[in-house]
Amino acid sequence: MLTITGLCRDFREGERVHRVLDGADAGIARGEAVAVIGRSGSGKSTLLNLIGGIDCPDSGSIRIDGREITALREPERTLFRRRRIGFVYQFFNLIPTLEVEENVRLALELNGIRGTRARRRSEDMLAQVGLADRLRSGVDRLSGGEQQRVAIARALVHEPELVLADEPTGNLDEQTAAVVMPVLLSLARQRNTTLVIVTHDRMVADNVDRTLELRQGKLHELRRGALRESSSR
Amino acid sequence: MSLLSAASLRHLLRHPAQLLLALLGLALGVATIVSVDIATASSRRAFELSMDAVNGPATHQIIAGPQGVDEQVYARLRTTGNIPLAPVVEGYVTIGDRSMLLVGVDPFAGVGLSGAADGPKRPDPAGWLIRPGAVVLSSTTARQLGLSVGRSFNLTVAGSERRATLVEELRGQHAGYDTVLFTDIAQAQEWLGSVGRLSRIEVHLPAGRPGDAAAARLRGSLPPGLQLVATRGRARESLDMTAAFTTNLQAMSLLALLVSTLLIYGSVSFAVVQRRRIIGIVRALGATRGDVGRIVLLEAAILGLIGAGCGVVAGILIAHALIGLVSRTINDLYFVVAVKDTALPTWTIAKALSVGIGTALVAALLPAIEVTNSPPQLGLRRSVLEMRAVHAARRLAVVSFFLAIGAGLIIFAWTRSLLAGFIALFLLLLSVAAITPAVLRALAQLAARLVGRSSPIIRLALADIAASLSRTAVAVAALGMAIAAMIGVSIMVESFRESLREWLTRTMRADVYVTAPGPGAGRPERRLDPQVIEALVAVPGVVDYSLSRRVSVELPDGPVSLDALKPAHASFAAVPLTSPNPQRTWKDFARGDIIVSEPLAWRLQLSQGDLLTLNTAIGPRSLRIAGIYRDYGNDRGNILMSLARYRGLWHDEGTTGMGLYLAPGSALEASLAALQAAVHGRQALLMRSNRDLRDLSMSIFERTFVITRVLYWLAAGVAAIGLVSALLAWELERGREMAILRALGLTPRGAALLIETQTGFMGLVALLAAIPAGLLTAVVLVDVINRRAFGWRIDLHLTAEQFSNALLLALAAALAAGLYPAWRSARVPIGTDMRDE
Repeated sequence: MLTITGLCRDFREGERVHRVLDGADAGIARGEAVAVIGRSGSGKSTLLNLIGGIDCPDSGSIRIDGREITALREPERTLFRRRRIGFVYQFFNLIPTLEVEENVRLALELNGIRGTRARRRSEDMLAQVGLADRLRSGVDRLSGGEQQRVAIARALVHEPELVLADEPTGNLDEQTAAVVMPVLLSLARQRNTTLVIVTHDRMVADNVDRTLELRQGKLHELRRGALRESSSR
Repeated sequence: MSLLSAASLRHLLRHPAQLLLALLGLALGVATIVSVDIATASSRRAFELSMDAVNGPATHQIIAGPQGVDEQVYARLRTTGNIPLAPVVEGYVTIGDRSMLLVGVDPFAGVGLSGAADGPKRPDPAGWLIRPGAVVLSSTTARQLGLSVGRSFNLTVAGSERRATLVEELRGQHAGYDTVLFTDIAQAQEWLGSVGRLSRIEVHLPAGRPGDAAAARLRGSLPPGLQLVATRGRARESLDMTAAFTTNLQAMSLLALLVSTLLIYGSVSFAVVQRRRIIGIVRALGATRGDVGRIVLLEAAILGLIGAGCGVVAGILIAHALIGLVSRTINDLYFVVAVKDTALPTWTIAKALSVGIGTALVAALLPAIEVTNSPPQLGLRRSVLEMRAVHAARRLAVVSFFLAIGAGLIIFAWTRSLLAGFIALFLLLLSVAAITPAVLRALAQLAARLVGRSSPIIRLALADIAASLSRTAVAVAALGMAIAAMIGVSIMVESFRESLREWLTRTMRADVYVTAPGPGAGRPERRLDPQVIEALVAVPGVVDYSLSRRVSVELPDGPVSLDALKPAHASFAAVPLTSPNPQRTWKDFARGDIIVSEPLAWRLQLSQGDLLTLNTAIGPRSLRIAGIYRDYGNDRGNILMSLARYRGLWHDEGTTGMGLYLAPGSALEASLAALQAAVHGRQALLMRSNRDLRDLSMSIFERTFVITRVLYWLAAGVAAIGLVSALLAWELERGREMAILRALGLTPRGAALLIETQTGFMGLVALLAAIPAGLLTAVVLVDVINRRAFGWRIDLHLTAEQFSNALLLALAAALAAGLYPAWRSARVPIGTDMRDE
């Protein structure tokens, strides 16, 4: 479903060139949940931005369902992103001036789904993440866990093939993370949605199908249990 | 409403103070335009109505010079042709302290003419011409003067009292009739001292070819010295006299709008910057560049519409104050007009709304382009944003250079165009705005380095300004531009005042000036009784005197004033000739040549030695220009001619005024009393000492510039509000940073000092950028705008006061901007701001 081939991305800081991705390769099947781990500054978020079409690589390609998104021009990338991809962020990134239900409905509205149909779908989605009673609340009145559940609902409401999650538990305590992560994973599995999660959280990595480590600009497959062994060492 | 629009609207509503200040800036800019439009349109409308009332349905007029039309000509034309004609005698009179236009009409001819077409009807005087002193007034004016039908009252014509009786009130007529007093033609001739002469003959010609043919025939049958002119064209010529004056007012109002454009830019770009993160989120969710750009522009358009709406309302309110100032200036300088009603032209509202929305859209265009071109990354790093602002500041410094060069080129390429002058001026002001960000950054960095060792807080405050250029530069640029304009206008007004003062000192040599009182300069009915002149000259202590006749004569492009002089010995040195050989000029003048003022020479592109053709009573005569003189009395221009030559050309023996020279050592008060006594009971005269007349001239000058001052304070007010708004928003945005400093141990007093240092420094930088720009603006205003609009040559005068107002404004606005954030940082618990993030 998702094929990454020879992906390179440099950043310039004055005269110095910093290569974040240096020929990264990976393949992820439909419905698979994959964690990407790595040290701070290793390029995990950059990778996610490239997969989501927010940023462009210097070389290499990304194909989603056979379509090479790195070859698309900006407007087409935007349209592709809003139809086929959902995002979940560490800091939730909800719109503070919209209510809970409106935040979710925004993803539908951008895809041309409006009116009662859109409202019903966003309400159903919020019910699935356990927030049926907070539809009209302002997002700044919610707890961190609730906000992240709204973000998950927003990422899934338009039924994308791919959800990209950037440190979804990074801003939550352990207990809340233990509630939120299963919601994301189970909803993605129910819908056969491919999930790529950038994380530092071992619990997250333990619950996904595969784990990739981003090291020296390349993606390395970690066998099951390797993460636990390395951290215990 | 889409959720994107809803989110955007709710953001604005969550920041009401910011929204209010942005709206206030735009509303004031639009209000200035609306008020100037209303004030000028109302004066224009009042003038047109009074013309309408006086001219009736006439399509053309037969006119002559100051001597008027011989009534025999009328009699001949009436008997030989079948064109509807009506004789009119008119002049200004006063009732109490109110100026009225006395119009004498022929009962028989007037009725015939009135019936000739649809349009305003004159009263039918047939029923009341037999009563001596009979007059007709509008019922409104009669009520205001406390008059009723049958009641007698006094009116004054050039200082002489006349007895009149109100015999009829006009009801249901438009406001133009409120300034007109109708009487029988013979009565008007007697009162105005023009027996046997008419002011003009009104003609009603059919439209189209038959009318043109009749006009050609009529023109051919007129004796020398008489002209047939279209009524509308003549009214337009009178209105055109005020063109330069109204253009200047409009330019001042545009300046206020230009300042508010920058402020709207500041507000919109700030609102965009504040929402950069939200915009990043919606872009990541799939909103296209178009979606986001549309939202920014839609927001600006709504802001523009509301601001313009408020501006129209405020403009109407300001206009009520401005109308008085504008009509008073028109009365002082051009013609008598009484504005009763305000005219709010529909196009003014349409213009205001489109200008408001257009301004907001133009201002929002750059932020919209910027936001649509930004990659949809969340929370674009502040450092990247500031780096962009630094690059933009460098580019703008280059743009500023080219704008200034462009302004210079425009001035030199179009040497006479007033519009080109204004475009150059606006380019110059924009150039100031464009250089300001680079200046602000450089000075802030320099100051931070200089004072850094002594106080780390001050260093932090100054370094922050340089590091937050994206927020601070626009506000400072807007203030700098407004201050530059303010300094420029101040210097121009002061230079004009000084030049006028010097000119008055030089030109007014006589000890006492005597004129026949009455409204309107150049009115033929304002004449001194010959016996009064003899009596005044015979008063002991009078050693010399000059005589003058001020009239209005016709040039192809409209009327121009002419001063016919019989100079006293001292008068020769009083006329500031610009020609190199004054003796020769005066010799030619005595022989019959004329001297023209600088404004007339500029307007008609005349030089010494050229010929100027005047329509005299004995037909057109080309007169040689012996010299050019400096004159600030009249922006349309003035002609000087010897009194003897004038009398030969126009057969007018009248004298409008005289200058009396007293023996050295004479007591002025005693001499004035002796002069008053000599004419007592003959004619009420305006008798003013040299000093009084100089003071009066200066007070008229001050009145003329009151409007300019009101408008530039409005522009400055807009800029001050903008600065307060932008800096307030910036300081509030930095609430968390301030909270961290407070948590680290910065005292409330230290926080207040830090904030006030920042805003005060920005005010100072705006002032520093504005001082050289203000000087340049003054040079353009004095040497380009004034020269092109009025033909005046003014010497530049610089005083400290011209800069002190600007300093006051800059510092007051800057310090006021810091007050609330300073208070807030001291009062709000530190934890609140730290949690807010």
